[in-house]
Amino acid sequence: MDLSPRPASEAAAPKARNRRKMLSIGLLLFVLLAGILVVSKFLTQSLDYYCNVDEVGHKDGCEAGRRLRIQGVVDKGSITTDNGVTTFNLTFNKVTVPVVYDSGEPGGLFQQCIPVVVHGVMKSGTFEGDDVEVKHSNEYDEKNKTRVATADAEAAACSQSK
Amino acid sequence: MATPDIETPATAAGTRAGTGTVFTRFIGLATIVGMVALGVFGLLLSPADVQQSDSVRILYIHVGTVWVAYVAFAFTALASAAYLWKRTTSLAWDRFAGASAEIGVLFMALTLLAGSLWGRLSWGKFWVWDARVTSTAFMFVTYVGYLAVRGLGGSHHQRARRSAVVALLAVLEIPLVHFSVKLWRGLHQDSSVADRTNVNLHGLMLFSLFISVIAFTLLYVWLMMHRQRVLAMQDAIDNTGLDYALQQRRDEGDL
Repeated sequence: MDLSPRPASEAAAPKARNRRKMLSIGLLLFVLLAGILVVSKFLTQSLDYYCNVDEVGHKDGCEAGRRLRIQGVVDKGSITTDNGVTTFNLTFNKVTVPVVYDSGEPGGLFQQCIPVVVHGVMKSGTFEGDDVEVKHSNEYDEKNKTRVATADAEAAACSQSK
Repeated sequence: MATPDIETPATAAGTRAGTGTVFTRFIGLATIVGMVALGVFGLLLSPADVQQSDSVRILYIHVGTVWVAYVAFAFTALASAAYLWKRTTSLAWDRFAGASAEIGVLFMALTLLAGSLWGRLSWGKFWVWDARVTSTAFMFVTYVGYLAVRGLGGSHHQRARRSAVVALLAVLEIPLVHFSVKLWRGLHQDSSVADRTNVNLHGLMLFSLFISVIAFTLLYVWLMMHRQRVLAMQDAIDNTGLDYALQQRRDEGDL
């Protein structure tokens, strides 16, 4: 067996290897950029979690006939509960939709004047929901600083998204 | 195989091998002080929220842990780049990267856990597939994958090279996760402090959040020092184990 070091027979070898390396780096960069482009395009156009109430029937993917998640603020004083069925009005951008929710008690921070997302189907002007999720804000403040301040904050939240 | 860049503390014969030094003890003490302060401010001194009541206190865990996860993954990428920059220099960078990723995965798990509990209390759901939650879960899985790549076997330098490439790609998910709340409509709220000019956070809540970030960062540094030394010891064991096996074969040959 001959184990003596081989002479560097191909003078062009390092150059070719270099070119191959540059090629693979270039390819990797291309794949990366293309990937970012495709993923961001795909994501921006199909990953929105909900349709706002005013977009139902107007925006792509928010057609009234299909199963939707709609987002809006629960109208002040609109919540009524009767025999396990909760009804309330959901408003966004001056458009209001009545919601009927019959899957028990809405969980989380559900209350009036808070933005919520309701899963369900639009049926003859009423949204029949089977799932409610509360979308709270990124603003935090002390509880019961004064009763008036709390009431003011609530009123402001209620009028904000109308 | 030579072991040029293995430095293990207390390897002198007879001494107890450990990973603690004066510096780690100092950091450890500071971490304890920080955590106690976080408990006092987070649970006692900071007020309950006007809407969320006491559940807002989860914020001080949720934000502190995800901060550490971001820092840890960013440092993994940085250390990986440092390793690749001058490949022959040091496996220490690779061990920094590995240790940091392990801690990052741990803290990301805590973020998901705290977030899930908070979600149950505020959204009404433990889990939703909105952009923030989904992208965070994706990032968590990616780094679990990174740790798996580290364990694939081969020489230490093979491990280092492979995982460094993965780390440099995976770190791109940090901006994706962070800005997911701006890019897409989701259930998760926008950030309250980071990249904002108007911070709508009660003073004491903001201060508690600040303490949370400091305390968890100290914990990260402490864990990082220890873990990186443990990894160095493991590498050293691998190497000396191989040396030992080689020596045995040579001894057989001498007979």
